[in-house]
Amino acid sequence: MSFLAPLFLLGAVTIALPVFFHLIRRSSKENLPFSSLIFLQPTPPRMTKRSRLEHLLLLLLRCLVICLLALGFSRPFLQKPMLAPQAADSGRKVILLLDRSASMRRAGLWEAALGRAEATLRQTGPGDQVAVYSFDNQVRPLIGFDQWAALPASERVPVTTRRLAEIQPGWAATQLGRALTRAAEAFAEGDQLRRDSGSRRIVLVTDLQEGARLDGLQGYEWPKGIEVQVEVVSPRKTSNAGIQWLAETADSTASEADTGPRLRVSNSANSQRESFQLRWNGVAGALPTDVYVPPGQNRIVAAPKLPPNVTGEQLVLSGDDDDFDNTVYLLPPKAEQIKVLYLGDEKTTDPNQPLFYLQRAFQATRQQNVVIAPHPTTTPLLPTELAATRLVLAADTLPAEQLAALQSFMTNGGTVWYVLKTNAQPASLGQLAGMAPALTVTDVAAPNYAMLSQIAFEHPLFASFADNRYNDFTKIHFWKYRRLDLRQFPGAHVLAKFDNGDPAFLEIPRGAGRLLVLTSGWQPADSQLALSSKFVPLLYAALELAGGIKGQITQGEAGEPVDLSGARVPGQSFPLVVTKPDGTTTTLAAGETRFTGTDLPGIYSVAAGGLPVRFAVNLAGAESRTAPLPLDELERLGVPMKPRAVDPAQQLEQKRRLHDTELESQQKLWRWLTLAALVLLLVETLVASRITNRTTVPLEGTL
Amino acid sequence: MTTAPPTTLSGKTSGSATPAASNRNLIDPQTLMSIRNLELRARVVVEGFWHGMHRSPYHGFSVEFSEYREYSPGDDPRYLDWRLFARSDRYYIKKFEDETNLRCHLLVDNSRSMSYGSLGYTKAQYANTLAATLAYFLYLQGDAVGLLTFDEAIRDYLPARHRPGHLRHIMLKLEQPATGSATNLTAPLARIVRTVKKRALLVLISDLLAPIGALEKDLTSLAACGHEVVIFHVLDPAELNFGFTQSVMFRDVETGRQLYVDPAIARKDYLEKLNAHNTAVEGACKNLGVGYRRLGTDRPLELALFDFLRERMQRGKLVKRRLG
Repeated sequence: MSFLAPLFLLGAVTIALPVFFHLIRRSSKENLPFSSLIFLQPTPPRMTKRSRLEHLLLLLLRCLVICLLALGFSRPFLQKPMLAPQAADSGRKVILLLDRSASMRRAGLWEAALGRAEATLRQTGPGDQVAVYSFDNQVRPLIGFDQWAALPASERVPVTTRRLAEIQPGWAATQLGRALTRAAEAFAEGDQLRRDSGSRRIVLVTDLQEGARLDGLQGYEWPKGIEVQVEVVSPRKTSNAGIQWLAETADSTASEADTGPRLRVSNSANSQRESFQLRWNGVAGALPTDVYVPPGQNRIVAAPKLPPNVTGEQLVLSGDDDDFDNTVYLLPPKAEQIKVLYLGDEKTTDPNQPLFYLQRAFQATRQQNVVIAPHPTTTPLLPTELAATRLVLAADTLPAEQLAALQSFMTNGGTVWYVLKTNAQPASLGQLAGMAPALTVTDVAAPNYAMLSQIAFEHPLFASFADNRYNDFTKIHFWKYRRLDLRQFPGAHVLAKFDNGDPAFLEIPRGAGRLLVLTSGWQPADSQLALSSKFVPLLYAALELAGGIKGQITQGEAGEPVDLSGARVPGQSFPLVVTKPDGTTTTLAAGETRFTGTDLPGIYSVAAGGLPVRFAVNLAGAESRTAPLPLDELERLGVPMKPRAVDPAQQLEQKRRLHDTELESQQKLWRWLTLAALVLLLVETLVASRITNRTTVPLEGTL
Repeated sequence: MTTAPPTTLSGKTSGSATPAASNRNLIDPQTLMSIRNLELRARVVVEGFWHGMHRSPYHGFSVEFSEYREYSPGDDPRYLDWRLFARSDRYYIKKFEDETNLRCHLLVDNSRSMSYGSLGYTKAQYANTLAATLAYFLYLQGDAVGLLTFDEAIRDYLPARHRPGHLRHIMLKLEQPATGSATNLTAPLARIVRTVKKRALLVLISDLLAPIGALEKDLTSLAACGHEVVIFHVLDPAELNFGFTQSVMFRDVETGRQLYVDPAIARKDYLEKLNAHNTAVEGACKNLGVGYRRLGTDRPLELALFDFLRERMQRGKLVKRRLG
């Protein structure tokens, strides 16, 4: 017989109590009245001699009751052999996920994480299948299940440990949710291949920072049977503040030129400090700025003032314990120069000509500066001029060489907007459109006025007007226009028609580019278009359609891909060459604009034949939120947590205890023992009452 | 029933009957106590006592002769001793001791400790019977009898009188059960001292179970007033012998305090303390000239009465000797 709570057996010692009470000859509870006790002294209870133990049966019953109760409380059970533990080591599959995000660069964390990883590896048995992945914003396998299995059993841990020692924490953000789902999927893949099902566990070695993104787990149904054991490494010092550059966006109200670059300084929730300093790195004469940020809060601050005519690219925050996120790289804003070519002999000051309105349509912004470059028809069009532009507007009859140049321009992807401001241009139009030169173009003067109708709002040119609030073109009146015979333009796409059905706006694909034809002019003699509110958006839409407005690259996030399409020169297919902050260069394949090698924070430059474009890559802001994330958060997202791995001996002991508890709860011997004790108590009561009745004598007559 | 008492309490008794000789005819207290009527009990004792007295050689003196004095004009000629005149031809006046009515106050302790008794009757019953006997005896003699019952305070007080019905009042008061809690002699004795101005005989019947210091103080104040004091110290045989055998919780009837006592162990100590107490009381009485008589409740009451008379007689002799 075994006991679940053997300490309760000590309760049996209390059988000494009834024996003791039986030995005390304190005869009865009755009392004897006496005249006065002034001459009496209390007598201490006297023990009878052993031979005078009275009521042996009663004593025996009482001792038995106590023994039974003590036995019952000690939860006895009949031991049965424990089933041989399942070959736990044989089928166990473990994926070790090692966090190598930027926050692991904090002092001592990486070493601790490697230590934990090694300890986990050492706990695996020869039958275990182990895979080791590192993750930041991406999951990279270090050792797969197959590689592990291929290694000799004695070599597995040392080899894996060496591999682990080779890697270093990177600069990317922590996509914890993505890493966990990827690991869970890796189990599923392995199971599909081998159809084995042992216990499956993910051992996650991480600093579990607040900024670790768990959105990958949202809506992900965690597979059954995979439990996660989190090995959290904690830094010795917890004060950490981070800095991010708030790069100017198109809708920023204030220019950086006025206020200087703006920065977000964030302090982690468990930080011990509140005061930090911001200074330019490598700029002489710039004074540092003090920043006060309470723990768990952010502050938007302006960068310290720079001396006149000096630019700084590196700002450093100081005053916290960890400096992995204390440097931010920034580039001064630079407006993009966009050139639009206008072919025609008009005077720029003539308000009756389209050029006059065109020049006033584009206003310089912080993002871009559109320049209209008038080019007379008499001067030959140089390829370099065409190479620097994406949109060419023409409103005159063009000479043959210019037409040829425009044709090749269009074939290479350029866009030509041809405005039929007179009916004397059919030859040029025919040449540009690639048709026979004998086009019929007739002048039409609308009886009152013509309006645009049947506008193709799905086309990029008019897409911005698709909303009901802006799609009213009826206020734009056309007095005169040129009628074209659509049958002569078989590939043309009519973007807008006049209300009488005549085409107003055509798009004719030409090679990689296109020809846009407006059958009327926007000068007041022809229409009200130039004076309407639709004119400027339409021009911008055309410029965008032509590829003239490129997305500007300002800032990238470490570890995240950067779209470098802005650096590509239109019409040229030079490969992009990216120079990293450490001087290494990466050449992207032709046509490839996605750069994924942002593994270092700093200033990158990319060149594609022309002037190099520079962009900054900074640490993800979330990495600065280094306060520990509560483990409940993972559980809330449905990830089953497993407590930290325990010593095998302890584990065995735990199993044994569990087995004993189960046996005891099945047998429930304590119930019978308690019942027996109750029965004995009943018997004891009966016996005692009989004895009491027999021995009751009037005490006052005992003289 | 005799109408004239054979003896007087005013000073001398005519003699003393040996208790051993009369024991055979004495009434067993237990039998006596089975008589429920207190007055009847008293009468039985007194009559039994008188029967004994008739056999005694000391009865027959009703007038106490004191001395002769020469006659001087103005004296009452009734007291001339004519026989002496015949012999000596001189006039002598025969002088007798002043014969006054005795004023006797019975002080009966009715505290709760008196309600203890191991013989089937309590000390209080015994004490009341004794008081009733004395009262009856004295009443029959024509003496004035008063009664004061007390516990920790005075319960009843009847002044000393000799009138029809007074004896009945005394009996009724004595028949009331003992209800008091503690024994406190100070208040009743102070009251007696305050009210009784004339010299009187005070008979205190109590178990005197109170601290000896207070007792001595109270008795001293009483004796200092010039009263003649006789104390009957009534104790139960169980109190005197402590003959218990079984260990039991003893409960103080006065205070309710409980004490576990093993008699085998405690007896010696108890008896020592009790004897010391009794000796101290007795010594104090002796010093103060107070008559002291210890009575076990198993002692026949006639003997108690006899003791009383003998005590009186001895005191009378003592007084006489002093006077002479």
